[in-house]
Amino acid sequence: MKSNHFPFLTWLALIVIGALVPTLVTVPYFMHLIILALIWVVLAQGQNLIQGFVGYVSIAQAGFMGVGAYFSTLMSVKLGLPVWSALLLSPFVTGVISVLVGYPSLRVKGHYFAIVTLAYNMVIFTILMTYSSLTGGEAGIPNVPRPEEFRFLGWLINFEGRSNTNFYYLTVIVGFFSTGICWLILNSRVGRVLLSIRENETLAEAVGVITWRYKLFAFVMSASLAGLAGSLYAHYIGFLNPEPFGVDQSLNAILAVILGGSGTLSGPVIGAFAVTFLPEYLRIADSYRLVTYGLILVVATIFLPLGLVPVFSKLLTKLKTIFWRRHD
Amino acid sequence: MIEVLQQILNGVAIGAVYTLIALGLTVVFGILGIAHFAHGSVAMLGGYLTFMLSEKFALPFFVAMSMAMVVGAVAGMLIERLAYRPVQNAPHINAFIIALGLTMMIEGFNLLVFGADQIVIQTPYRGVYNIGGLAVAELRLIVILTAVVLIGVISILIRKTKTGKSIRAVAQNRSAAILMGVNVTQVSLVVFSISSALGVAAGALIGALLAIAPGVGEGLAVKGFAVLILGGLGSIPGAVVGGMILGVSEAMAAGFISSAYKDVIAFLVMIAVLLLRPQGLLGKR
Repeated sequence: MKSNHFPFLTWLALIVIGALVPTLVTVPYFMHLIILALIWVVLAQGQNLIQGFVGYVSIAQAGFMGVGAYFSTLMSVKLGLPVWSALLLSPFVTGVISVLVGYPSLRVKGHYFAIVTLAYNMVIFTILMTYSSLTGGEAGIPNVPRPEEFRFLGWLINFEGRSNTNFYYLTVIVGFFSTGICWLILNSRVGRVLLSIRENETLAEAVGVITWRYKLFAFVMSASLAGLAGSLYAHYIGFLNPEPFGVDQSLNAILAVILGGSGTLSGPVIGAFAVTFLPEYLRIADSYRLVTYGLILVVATIFLPLGLVPVFSKLLTKLKTIFWRRHD
Repeated sequence: MIEVLQQILNGVAIGAVYTLIALGLTVVFGILGIAHFAHGSVAMLGGYLTFMLSEKFALPFFVAMSMAMVVGAVAGMLIERLAYRPVQNAPHINAFIIALGLTMMIEGFNLLVFGADQIVIQTPYRGVYNIGGLAVAELRLIVILTAVVLIGVISILIRKTKTGKSIRAVAQNRSAAILMGVNVTQVSLVVFSISSALGVAAGALIGALLAIAPGVGEGLAVKGFAVLILGGLGSIPGAVVGGMILGVSEAMAAGFISSAYKDVIAFLVMIAVLLLRPQGLLGKR
């Protein structure tokens, strides 16, 4: 497995594309979808950290997204904290909560870990639904504020309105930030330990790695990114109820990682966009969505276990050999 | 005191169903090492089928349940052949992700075919006996009895028959079983059909005892695994003990704390066991 998937030129190209999107995309609904997809990038990068790097499937990503979303919303709505500080705090708070969750569940290996995290997602969902004096229950919390406007080099930057360009830039920056963090982890000593746990945990333990610490680190990082995504989501959508934080959204996060390519950096990005745009393009009724997604997940795992990334990179090398045929 | 006994009785009935679910999960895990997460959704499918057969065709409850179990057995074989066998040599994580995909598919199928409404399977067992102030519903006794009979049949099948012998052989040592001439492919088909039939029975009992609605299947699968975590993997007594603990603690929580939080309490029990005895209550280290 190559670890250096994101060379400098790719980063540069992505930054240029990211900066140009608002001038190229003029349909507001499209812009709205792109913002949602970018929030999903943050979520999927987090999911990939634990699922792709360590090989432990966590089914709690949407639950942690909910923790971040509700924390950030309650801070800004009930306590009147500035949205920016709530945004910055929510990943840390989600991370702390995930330690409490991760410590007992990482004592079990493999499948059991997945089941326990899923139980946690159900607990979080139940609490959000039932503890309605705080969370508003199923009716939810209306009028979640957008981030406050501020002055930057003389420009007034505000975040109000649907498909707001400034909010788009905010999500792009956060998307790059989360991908960058994963890149840093992947290329560090910790990253290599994580990959070694995925490849052979018993061997890693035998060599003297205290694996649960590394697993806990990956789990907490993954949950923190989910919390960040949740906070962004809440302040973008402006209305919060428990529905997007149920188990099936966690399954969608797993689908995003598998579809893109688990264990790669570009995979979650592609997967996040695929999961957001798929229902728009397939034009499937909501009742067929579950069956279709499930089928895609099964078929992709059987026939495309490495995801879409290798398919794309193969296409790219083919194009390269056609256009830049080396004369040597 | 009477109320505590009452809740314990309620808990034993629902715990018997959890035990059935856990048995289906543990045979599959023992043989193939697959955490067959879609099991809960298969159970729900069975519940819906039983409901349809007994409502539309006016069949008696147990006839409808048996027919649904046959359908479940076939569905189990199809799942093994089409979904799990292609990844049997891939890393285990792939099989688990397939299980998640199957869960989405079956849940979606249930939603499409049977709708989103909550259903309750009507049974003729509506009597309530009064034993020393304790209200004993006939239905609960029937559920417990059915579970006991099914667990007994499975135990005999695994302990005494030739098929059972080959199932145990594969669970102990797959490659040695192959060398001894056990047809592993056939064994895994048989195991999946048994497991799914058990799941369908559990789904039908749940539908009669409580209710079936979309999303219940996932919770049921989690509880099945919780029972395995509680009782320790691969033992039938462990599954029974785990099922009883989960069922009773859930009933206690619903009766004395809040019915909205009964699942939360059940999961807290599971997490406590994980912290204190990760190998399960009856498991060996």
